[in-house]
Amino acid sequence: MTPLAMKMLFRRGGTAGSALSVALIVAILTSMNAGVNYINLQAQELGTLVNIGETYIIISQNSTSVSDSRIDVSLANQLTRSIDRYVEYSLPQKILSATIITKSGNRTLYVRGVEDPENFFKLGRAYVNGSIAKGEAEANVGEIVARILAIDLGDEVRLTVNNNAVKFKVVGIFKTLTQLDGEIIVSMKATMQLTKDNNKLSLIEFAIKDKVDGEEAINIITELLPRDLKVVKAQQLRDFIQNMNQQTLTFMSLWSVTIYAVAAVASYIIATRLIAESRDEMTMIRALGAKKRMLFTLVLIYTTATALLGSILGIALGTVGTQTASTILRWIWPSVNITPFLEAEQALQTILLTLASSTLGCLYPALRSARTRYMEQPL
Amino acid sequence: MKLMSFKYFKRQRILALVLILVLASTLFSITVSSLLGFYRGFTAYLGEGEDIVLIYNRKSRTPFTGSVPVYLTERIGAMNGVLVSSPEAIAPCVADDEAIFLRGIIPGDFMKLNQLSVLDGELLELSDADCMIVGRNLAERFKLKLGDKFLIHSVLTDQYMELRIKGIYESHSAMDDEALVPLYVGQWLVGVDYSHVTLIRFKIDRGAVSPSTIFEEVAKEASEPSPARDGGEKPPIDRIIPGVRTSFSIEDVGVEEAQGLMKSYMDRYGVTREALLVVSVLIFLLSSASITAALKIVLTQHTGEIGVLRSIGASKRTMKRDILIKLLPWSLVSSAMGILMATATLMITQENSYLLVLSHRVSFNLDLFSMATILILVSLLVSITILRSDLK
Repeated sequence: MTPLAMKMLFRRGGTAGSALSVALIVAILTSMNAGVNYINLQAQELGTLVNIGETYIIISQNSTSVSDSRIDVSLANQLTRSIDRYVEYSLPQKILSATIITKSGNRTLYVRGVEDPENFFKLGRAYVNGSIAKGEAEANVGEIVARILAIDLGDEVRLTVNNNAVKFKVVGIFKTLTQLDGEIIVSMKATMQLTKDNNKLSLIEFAIKDKVDGEEAINIITELLPRDLKVVKAQQLRDFIQNMNQQTLTFMSLWSVTIYAVAAVASYIIATRLIAESRDEMTMIRALGAKKRMLFTLVLIYTTATALLGSILGIALGTVGTQTASTILRWIWPSVNITPFLEAEQALQTILLTLASSTLGCLYPALRSARTRYMEQPL
Repeated sequence: MKLMSFKYFKRQRILALVLILVLASTLFSITVSSLLGFYRGFTAYLGEGEDIVLIYNRKSRTPFTGSVPVYLTERIGAMNGVLVSSPEAIAPCVADDEAIFLRGIIPGDFMKLNQLSVLDGELLELSDADCMIVGRNLAERFKLKLGDKFLIHSVLTDQYMELRIKGIYESHSAMDDEALVPLYVGQWLVGVDYSHVTLIRFKIDRGAVSPSTIFEEVAKEASEPSPARDGGEKPPIDRIIPGVRTSFSIEDVGVEEAQGLMKSYMDRYGVTREALLVVSVLIFLLSSASITAALKIVLTQHTGEIGVLRSIGASKRTMKRDILIKLLPWSLVSSAMGILMATATLMITQENSYLLVLSHRVSFNLDLFSMATILILVSLLVSITILRSDLK
């Protein structure tokens, strides 16, 4: 009897209108999704305009800053040897926050200890005025630091970390156009003297060789690391774009909740309308021996089927609508070039969520219809 | 025949209509508030009012990716009518796996344009090479405290750097979602040399100077560079930042009102205030099919009561007028409830920083015009549906 009853309900005049009401709601969501997809794609395309560097750093797993990171010197040496075939260079460094005392005053700044300052400056394409520090008592000062503290070549500066003070002679002032210009570069041994700790480094900086598959190399390097260390990429363009897109998607999620709530109420209305306008049919079905459960099933199937039809139609309407709107916009303003699109999984997700909200929306009217005593109604 | 005293509408039967009106109004209000909030926030990002003018790179695709010669700050700043000038290097970055914006500034100049009140710590100085000050919202988002160290990854260059929090400020503007660093730190993270910045902002006296006269001056500078200043006390920027004068093409440089420029970026994608309002109204209209259906159900469910009143002499016209008088207040109250619900939802999301656009909190303001629009739309829809209905 169910197919016959369904046929009877679907042939009612209001079915097309009900499907359309769901379709229009789904069309709103589809067009917004298509527009957001275009915006996200634009963000990704903008990302391709930026040169991507291949610099990585190894720091301790739990550190949120490089100066707090701790890596054992012996482990660092072992790691440097292990990753050698994948990397262009690897530079173990010790970074610490120190107080600098000069003739013009004191201030706190970052001091970076490196094994081989010459190689470090060469890799950093630094322009050095003067010479590169060779001993433990020599230092190279970044141009910005030199300007802030009025430091000249040949000046003596004192660096202090936790009451340990070491004197340095400024042998070179360098310019890299990077954060190094705001630091002092000394030998690794000098930083060990300042911290009285010969066993710990802050980080290992490295760059992947050109001919090596970067992703594969990073996976291998990550596997080589002990649990308390991690590899972090210096330039994080991909993360930035993903984060930006995620922010848009979070907004869309909140907004979609309202849309699905509207879809649920639309289904409530469809089910209520079906019951209100099909009293005669319902009474006939009951008279023919249908159980209460069957009436419940009929209302449920009718509403979800209408919602399914509506959501498919809505996706089509939304996609065509946005395409048409963007074409019209292009005609009116040729500089505006918007090409919205919808992905297959988004369409599927929309259909499934619309069905779920429709089922929720029609539950109460369906239950009420099952409880109604149609037999008492005059035919 | 007067029908006002006949209370034939059953409240339970109006439930569907109330529900759909509440939700449709909520949907409209959320859409219009968030879209217009984003639009307002974006267009006011670099300053509001006609007196804030920018020198920017005309060829850049976003406000964050161009560069202009920094020495124009001094050149244009010396013009009669230019009150304040602020060169800025805006750097998109990632910290703690989240996107943030750092703005390299000359603190003294910047603070003449943007009033900052310090909530904790101190204000930034140009010599703070290892420090930054963070906006209130940013500090809340990352749970940052004074003295915390923050590892920043650049997006535009292959750089990372550690910065210490020197202060937390409040500006009641988009700046509250950003961090401020000395200009040269911004330049490192943007990847430009010390002679270039992302943009230069000016506060001008509109009576004495206009964007076009500034542009003329910039054009003159591009064709015949003025001699570099010789002797005298150098301003802080020259003492700390080793910039050199660079030649530039006038085709690359634009001068525009800040808000106008940001609007023009949005215009490139067809996004205008009017377009966003139209989209919101369209969304409401698309959900109106369900409102019409709900109204028809109310009428169908009251067929018996309407029939009785018709049989005792009420004309169709009188009936429709009475139904309209009885249902319109319900509809308007439902719509107002929807607006309230949307406002509450948006306030909660705003307070908890759930919603960010370009890493900035969207400030939601439901304006009177939007509220009036939704109430008028609801009134029209309900009236048309009832008046066009075929009462039996």
